[in-house]
Amino acid sequence: MQALHTAATGMAAQELNVQVISNNIANLRTTGYKKQTASFQDLIYEHIRRVGAQSSDQGTILPVGIDIGGGVKTVGTPRSMTQGTLSQTGNDLDLAITGEGFFKIQMPDGTYQYTRDGTFQMDNQGRIVTAQGNLVQPAITVPQNASGLTVNAQGQVSVTLPGSTTSTIIGQIGLTRFINKAGLQPVGNNLFTDTPSSGPPQDGLANAEGYGSLTQGSLEQANVDVVSEMSDLIAAQRAYEMNAKVVSAADQMMQSTSALFR
Amino acid sequence: MENALLIGLSRQMVLERQMDVVANNVANVNTNGYKADSSLFQEYLKTGAHEDNFIGQDRNVSYVQDSGTYRDFSQGPLQATSNPLDLAIDGGGFLAVQTAGGERYTRDGGLQINPQGQLVTVTGDPVLGASGPIVLQPTDHDINVSPDGTVTVLEGNGRADSIRGKLRLVSFANAQKMLKEGSNLYAAGEGGAPQADTKSQLRQGFLEKSNVNSVAEMSRMIEVTRAYTQIATLLQQQSDLHKTAIAALADVPV
Repeated sequence: MQALHTAATGMAAQELNVQVISNNIANLRTTGYKKQTASFQDLIYEHIRRVGAQSSDQGTILPVGIDIGGGVKTVGTPRSMTQGTLSQTGNDLDLAITGEGFFKIQMPDGTYQYTRDGTFQMDNQGRIVTAQGNLVQPAITVPQNASGLTVNAQGQVSVTLPGSTTSTIIGQIGLTRFINKAGLQPVGNNLFTDTPSSGPPQDGLANAEGYGSLTQGSLEQANVDVVSEMSDLIAAQRAYEMNAKVVSAADQMMQSTSALFR
Repeated sequence: MENALLIGLSRQMVLERQMDVVANNVANVNTNGYKADSSLFQEYLKTGAHEDNFIGQDRNVSYVQDSGTYRDFSQGPLQATSNPLDLAIDGGGFLAVQTAGGERYTRDGGLQINPQGQLVTVTGDPVLGASGPIVLQPTDHDINVSPDGTVTVLEGNGRADSIRGKLRLVSFANAQKMLKEGSNLYAAGEGGAPQADTKSQLRQGFLEKSNVNSVAEMSRMIEVTRAYTQIATLLQQQSDLHKTAIAALADVPV
């Protein structure tokens, strides 16, 4: 009986749906997190009676056929790359991007990864680093005893050096764009790597050509809408239950058949 | 004599198939743009097995056959996602998709961008505009899709909208003839020609959910299970009748 297997695909799909939703809810307060949604498609159909087949030599055709579908499959968990809201922290090295770009981060092995999380710190050499201590690109070293660190919308970092009354620009934080940012691969720690699907990284500067502008003293919140996640969770749970009911109904039908032989 | 068994069998076979249809609907209760299937049955009249043994006209016995599955093309509910690449079709139209097997049609408007900048479905097949796939430039941002399908973007630092193409919305004179191919795609089907649809509109930031009515599917499922069990009981009784008859008639008195 096909129904049993069909319902099993439905249960598997909804289980994955609940996993994705719970990950979104778990990351509700993760800076720069972008929510995912599970995307489903129907499986192939068995065309038992083909629609439009001739039903007589007078040219009459079947108005409807018999198509039996095999269930559902998960095709992807695409990420919704919409802007998250900014929350003010007042911290000098908290940066938020409004727009398309990503911060470029150099990993210890020399490769680059990308993030929307602008919770930056300074290391013991005065370099601007992420919370894991990896360098923000291009590397900027804040001189000792410098004060009044400001980052403007273009990403230019300026400080007031000791004995000076005017501020000096010491570097500019770059941003990177991708033609398909939903194609980036998440690697945890709020970081993404580029993939053939995302397209090659295009380095640029903030505030230029749609790269997005920077806001100092703010962080980008996750773009998870908790109300819609909760309603999705309820829908997924009910869908799972319904598929489970189909399994037991199909089972009941088979039982009544096997009870014939006694 | 075996008519009751065979008629019961014909009923059970179509019930199993109807159960498959219900199971597929329930499995796709969360599939974007999915359209529910329903089963159609017809009576198949056949004269009895032993018509020659009667002087009068033997009465016909009616078998049951499933004659088709038809699709409910009614609008599914729209879910607000606020994702600019999520498009819901309001109306009877379909988006045209370029697949390896030729042009296909879909109601699932959860679009993505591929590395070439083309608008694609979640499986990577380009969505067609009036003149081929819609291609976005690397510096494009703030994508806007108007209700008639026109895709406009802001390019680079520009403040004026640049048009990137117009998504094709098509409809069919008889949508029932379309073939479901899986992967949320429909083929045009026998003699079906896509016509430009000017009545349907696109809603950006929305997704069309499955139009499966879960309560109706559940009650249909119960109906199918009960009917199936009833027939099984009927077959059982018929078999008991035979058993008793054989036992009683073959009981040679000593």
